[in-house]
Amino acid sequence: MIGRINPFRRIRQSGDDSSIVMDSARKSTGGRTRNRVIMTMAVFFGIYATIGGRLVYLGFQDPVPSGAPASRVTASRPDIIDRNGEVLATDIKTSSLFAEPRHIVDADEAIEKLATVLPNLDYEQTYNKLKSGAGFVWLQRQLTPRQQSEIMQLGIPGIGFRTETRRFYPAGATTAYIVGLTNIDNQGISGLEKYIDGQGLADLQQSGLALPKDLAPVRLSVDLRVQHIVHDEISSAMERFRAIAAGAVVLNAKTGEVVAMASVPDFDPNNPVNAQDKDRLNRMSAGLYEMGSTVKSFTTAMALDSGKANLNSTFDATRPITIGRQTIRDFHGKGRVLTLPEVFIYSSNIGSAREADIVGIEGHREFLHRLGILERMKTELPEVARPVEPKVWKKVHSITASFGHGFTTTPLQTAVGAAALMNGGHLMNPTFLARTVEEAMADATRVVSEKTSADMRYLYNLNATAPGGSGRRATVPGYRVGGKTGTAEKVVNGRYVSGKRFNAFLAAFPMDDPQYIVLSVIDEPQALPGQGATAGFNAAPIVSNIIRRSAALLGVEPEFGQEKAATLASY
Amino acid sequence: MFRTSDIVLIGVMVAAAAMTYSIKRDAGEQLAAVRKLQTQIRTEEETIDLLKADWSLLTQPARLQRLVERYQEQLGLEQVNPYQFARIDSLPQRPLSIEDITAADAAGRLIDQTQTGAVE
Repeated sequence: MIGRINPFRRIRQSGDDSSIVMDSARKSTGGRTRNRVIMTMAVFFGIYATIGGRLVYLGFQDPVPSGAPASRVTASRPDIIDRNGEVLATDIKTSSLFAEPRHIVDADEAIEKLATVLPNLDYEQTYNKLKSGAGFVWLQRQLTPRQQSEIMQLGIPGIGFRTETRRFYPAGATTAYIVGLTNIDNQGISGLEKYIDGQGLADLQQSGLALPKDLAPVRLSVDLRVQHIVHDEISSAMERFRAIAAGAVVLNAKTGEVVAMASVPDFDPNNPVNAQDKDRLNRMSAGLYEMGSTVKSFTTAMALDSGKANLNSTFDATRPITIGRQTIRDFHGKGRVLTLPEVFIYSSNIGSAREADIVGIEGHREFLHRLGILERMKTELPEVARPVEPKVWKKVHSITASFGHGFTTTPLQTAVGAAALMNGGHLMNPTFLARTVEEAMADATRVVSEKTSADMRYLYNLNATAPGGSGRRATVPGYRVGGKTGTAEKVVNGRYVSGKRFNAFLAAFPMDDPQYIVLSVIDEPQALPGQGATAGFNAAPIVSNIIRRSAALLGVEPEFGQEKAATLASY
Repeated sequence: MFRTSDIVLIGVMVAAAAMTYSIKRDAGEQLAAVRKLQTQIRTEEETIDLLKADWSLLTQPARLQRLVERYQEQLGLEQVNPYQFARIDSLPQRPLSIEDITAADAAGRLIDQTQTGAVE
């Protein structure tokens, strides 16, 4: 063996006879050393080969499932707060209890202990789960923190907790349509939750950078207190008048901020089982309606702004207008020549048609587009409907449009248009995020002149104070409310039906310098005994109640004019 | 066999080893403490979040209204009237009593500055 390994040495050895002994000794020891080295190498090689082989073998094996599934990465979302910092939506951590039956020592004991904390734990089902021998079973989802700490104190082996992030809406149904919803993966699917995702949050979440600490809360323009009042009033009105739906919006006339907006029927975002129902629709921004006589505000403003009419102009409303097969009549017909303010406060259809007539068909259409009534509204809320207008405007369209029929629009943009008429003529996009007057004015466009706006304020005020004005039921002592009613008959199967109405009341307050626009709508209200079913009886009181309850919260000071002197004297 | 320098070096080595060990141990303890504190902070933050949610749930206007309606009679609660809002300057001046005037005069703050000469 040695000879084979080292033949050269042997050759050299035979040529050197004098050192045979030494050589032999050296040969014998050197050979043994070499032998040992080789053996050691072989042993180590064997060991490493075994380890490597085992590693390769393990690498090809599927690991045996054990332990809890990887915690679902639920993306964090920023809190949503109202303008005063009240929480409208927040992430809360809930923990769910799981067990690893293989590691459970005594199932009976474990269940008995758990039952002291979770009294409604199903004994039999849990026992079967724990005896199943499965690697992992859920025992109870979404525990309260107290339950969690109590279970931890029990010290049962083989159970554990997984934390899950859940979106929680403290305000519940009150802000349901504004705040919106998220799905199981914490992605926004409606309302402002969806808008926030569109603003780059979705990308952040995808890249894993959406850390809860870095997400600044989103501050809305909504005032939760006013929002509650609005929600409360429309809910009770819908019940009282047995209507199929109701809604209202409070809009800041100076900034275009939506301070409150609600629509019923709605849903509870913490348990949105019925959110997909057909009648669950944010009627204020996604519902299209013929707004009826409230549109006469725009017709009147248009006539005034064109310069072809002023507050002293007169319009002949003696006879109904017949055009084609349609006859335009007045609901509260006076049968005489009316001045422009009379047309407004008596809500004369004939007078309004004459007002539109002096502007012309194209001018009329252009004005409604200019005010954004026929444009798709630009705002943060994703649920926005596109108004529907006749493809080609003819004389009859202009006439019907003058009193709010023949085209549909959303209540919210009607309120936005009214804000432009009241605030001096500046049209601004409605926003659900907090905004200052300066920011609003930077984006605003002038749509009517200062003079027209002043005239409109006068008319709104007149309609609420003058005898015969349709807005008298909306007045609130001290807050100088002005407004316009709208009672539209609804179209069923292509015909206007007199028993089904869509009522609205468009108001502004305080009238000397309008700060807020309040619009209420109520769909198919039934008359209370001894009352009518027109807007003055149902939509106007909603507005009145909202203003009475919320004006102080909105920072509007009451003023009593003449009555004030009496207060002073009666100390 | 051992030279002095060897002994010194061994001593230094042992000391260095002991120091390294103690530093490492300390660092380990500190790290454990940091980790414990971090867990505590996280728990506290989660609790704060939860309490905030609780607070906003308890201060919901809808809930307050329900409570007000329930205890309205007991507490004699009434709806706010616009007449009850006023600025401080729109309040009438408090009528003066004779004691107010004498007290003010005694303090040297004359309520009425008019001097006639006949009466001091």
